[in-house]
Amino acid sequence: MTGTLLALGAALLVGAAPAAPTTGWAPQGLAAQDDSAYGCIICHADKRRSFTLGVHSDYGIRCDDCHGGDPTAYEIDPAHRGRFLGTPTKLEIIELCSVCHADPNQMRQFGLAADQLAEFRTSRHGQLLLEQGNTDAPTCTDCHNAHLILPPEDARSEVHPTNIPATCGRCHEDAQLMAKYGEPIDQYERYRTGAHGIGVFEKRNFASPTCIGCHGSHAALPPAVTQIADVCGRCHLLLERAFYQGPHGGPARSGTLPGCLGCHSNHGTERTAPEAIAALCVRCHEPESAPALMGVELQEEVLRATEELHYAADAIEEMVEMGHEVADERFRYQSAVSEYNQIALVQHSLNFERLEDLGLAVRSNTGIIRATAEVHAEEQWEHKLLLIPVWFLTLAVIVLAWFKLREEQP
Amino acid sequence: MIRRAWYAAKSWFSQTWVDIKESTDAGLLGGARFLGLLYGPIDRRLRIDEALRKMLGYRLDPHVGWRQMFGGITYVLFMILVVTGVLMALYYRPSVQEAYPSTQHIVSNVSFGWLIRDLHVWSASLIVVAVLAHMARVLLEAAYKPPRETNWTIGLLLLGVILAFGATGYLLPWDQWAYWTVTEVLVAISGFPLVGGLIADTLMGDVIVSGATLSRFFSIHVIVLPWVSLALLSYHFTLVRRRGIAPPVHVEEQSVGRRRRGAPNPQQHQSADDGSQQGVRFFPTHLLRSLSVTVLVLAIAVTLAVLYPRPFGPPANPLVVPHELVSTWVPVDVSLALLRYLGIWGFIVFTLLGVSLVLLPLFDRGPERRIRKRPVVAVLGLLFFGGFVVLWLVGRGIGSLPPSEGIGQEARQERVVPGERAAPLPRVGPARPAVPSDSAAGERGNTP
Repeated sequence: MTGTLLALGAALLVGAAPAAPTTGWAPQGLAAQDDSAYGCIICHADKRRSFTLGVHSDYGIRCDDCHGGDPTAYEIDPAHRGRFLGTPTKLEIIELCSVCHADPNQMRQFGLAADQLAEFRTSRHGQLLLEQGNTDAPTCTDCHNAHLILPPEDARSEVHPTNIPATCGRCHEDAQLMAKYGEPIDQYERYRTGAHGIGVFEKRNFASPTCIGCHGSHAALPPAVTQIADVCGRCHLLLERAFYQGPHGGPARSGTLPGCLGCHSNHGTERTAPEAIAALCVRCHEPESAPALMGVELQEEVLRATEELHYAADAIEEMVEMGHEVADERFRYQSAVSEYNQIALVQHSLNFERLEDLGLAVRSNTGIIRATAEVHAEEQWEHKLLLIPVWFLTLAVIVLAWFKLREEQP
Repeated sequence: MIRRAWYAAKSWFSQTWVDIKESTDAGLLGGARFLGLLYGPIDRRLRIDEALRKMLGYRLDPHVGWRQMFGGITYVLFMILVVTGVLMALYYRPSVQEAYPSTQHIVSNVSFGWLIRDLHVWSASLIVVAVLAHMARVLLEAAYKPPRETNWTIGLLLLGVILAFGATGYLLPWDQWAYWTVTEVLVAISGFPLVGGLIADTLMGDVIVSGATLSRFFSIHVIVLPWVSLALLSYHFTLVRRRGIAPPVHVEEQSVGRRRRGAPNPQQHQSADDGSQQGVRFFPTHLLRSLSVTVLVLAIAVTLAVLYPRPFGPPANPLVVPHELVSTWVPVDVSLALLRYLGIWGFIVFTLLGVSLVLLPLFDRGPERRIRKRPVVAVLGLLFFGGFVVLWLVGRGIGSLPPSEGIGQEARQERVVPGERAAPLPRVGPARPAVPSDSAAGERGNTP
């Protein structure tokens, strides 16, 4: 009875509006899909809605391609017969997606890699799911959504840079789930307040890495201790080179030092403030030891250069306020800043000769800026000397006029 | 021998000196004669000599004295503004790219450019105070009453011109403070009912304050307003001469009727020609007083310019709203104080108070000139002029206000490009079919 009613309803729908609703857009060469005779949407209209917003519907993929069944049937039973899969399991999902996404011949046209399955097998998630059958581990649809599948560059996508931390956080912030594996749950919060999180969320700098930048996406795994500096070095190329040239590079290679994490931590990555350098060194070195004293020296040099830059910036601001052209001074300031930034390299290589040279270069540039500002301030002070003749002449005129006016009075 | 040589040298030097002197005298005499040859015929036609003698022998009314100095101070400041303005116009370039750097160039590279610029800025503030002091004196002495009510109106127009000078000049430095203060004011103007939008768009010439606005403000500042002020000033001074300067309140005016054109002023002690010895001599008494006041005003303006130069804000940037708008002109100082402590209604009430003074001569036309007998005028005048001074001092203490929230977005989004009509939107009527949604399709599909 229900089936008959459904069939009648579908027939009425098709008869009443033969042209609508269709997807309005289709890639060139493909006809726009006509959903009017498609049985699945009679009951699963909500799924159709989200699926047509995603990328797969544009290329002729239909419900039955993944779920099976008979979309030409308008009744429940005939519609769900045949190669009907229903809601696929996590393993079935991987199998279904891999039909296309592990096939280079299919992916080549879109410029997409076809190695996701191979990568997934190497990941911790893949090991759990594929080898142990542990369904706590995510499958494709847990990160990419089942029906609303959008490309990563779409801001609505769950794998867009601004959404990735939250997507990972769905499991990695779940205390109950993570307790089973002895994993912490504060990574997202620490990442959000760290330098990389601020880069992504506040500065909208998508060159700043999200979770997948360090751990990989389909091949997600924490890097080994000996790999940490290399992972960071993918972006911080010069710092990595300087780090390996310095005294800490060897121990990091051998795994006795945790690479960059020793000073910068992992998820809550932070720049070390200039005034905290020496304190950082004594976390590993004895307070009065030679390396600790080097840390103090390094800190003093960096602090001095930082202070000089602040003074130079103030001096430029003063000159702007006085109305002077400061193009030269700004150029010098930029030179000083680029030299100052090179001090960061020295902080990693601990080459003190270079440190001294850079400190000197910063100070010579900022010194010229400050001297120029002082000259202008001096000029402004000299302007006040003009008031002496002005008031002398003014008072002289007034006094003389006063005497003359007194004479004039009857 | 030595003595003879000494005398010979002495005689030679003295003869040479005499020759030089004579030749110089002859040169001077020749020059004077030549000028005399020119001067004679000119003077016979233009009678400069006679006019000069008449002017020097001119006598003002006996009551004219120090009390009338504010009008003179205003004129001195106006002339300072004209001279410094012309000097700055030699270097200033009114374009978005060059306005700010050319102002920097004036201040940092041109000889005494810093002094000329700050003298201009300070005179623009002082002239407002001087005009209001002049107005206050006229108001308290009831000098706006017939036969001088026309001159009061001309004076008010001149006040408007001075405020327009300041308002248009405010944008010219093209720094962030100037740019965003003008944006604030134009947005406020556009909020006035009926004509506000039209006035703001006409002044702006663009959808935001831009190069078009700068060009408009510059041309109004240096071309339109100087001609208007020249005409008004001439008329103002002519009326001062023709109607005479109002006597003190305790002295009854001899004639309050309007004189016919060319008729002698009974108040006026015309000249030495009529032999009258009454009144204040123009030369040297009045001229010395004027000179004293002029040099004093100039010294005060120079002192303020040297001690408190107008600071530069960052260059104007329509994309960045600054954290604060620093005031650099007296009316802006007063507005800051009003808006901070009394809010927008305080601003409106104070403006209405000023407008009530403008309309005063229309209502207060009786012969009574003593201030005690005119309590309404006294209270209004005291409130406005006293309030102005207090608010000015308070406003200078505040110095700056943060710009209104959303001013940037408002300026960018809500303006319409003048002259370009937006394409009409399609009308949504009952005949237009509703777009079928998925859920609607499902429901309809289930309906038998």
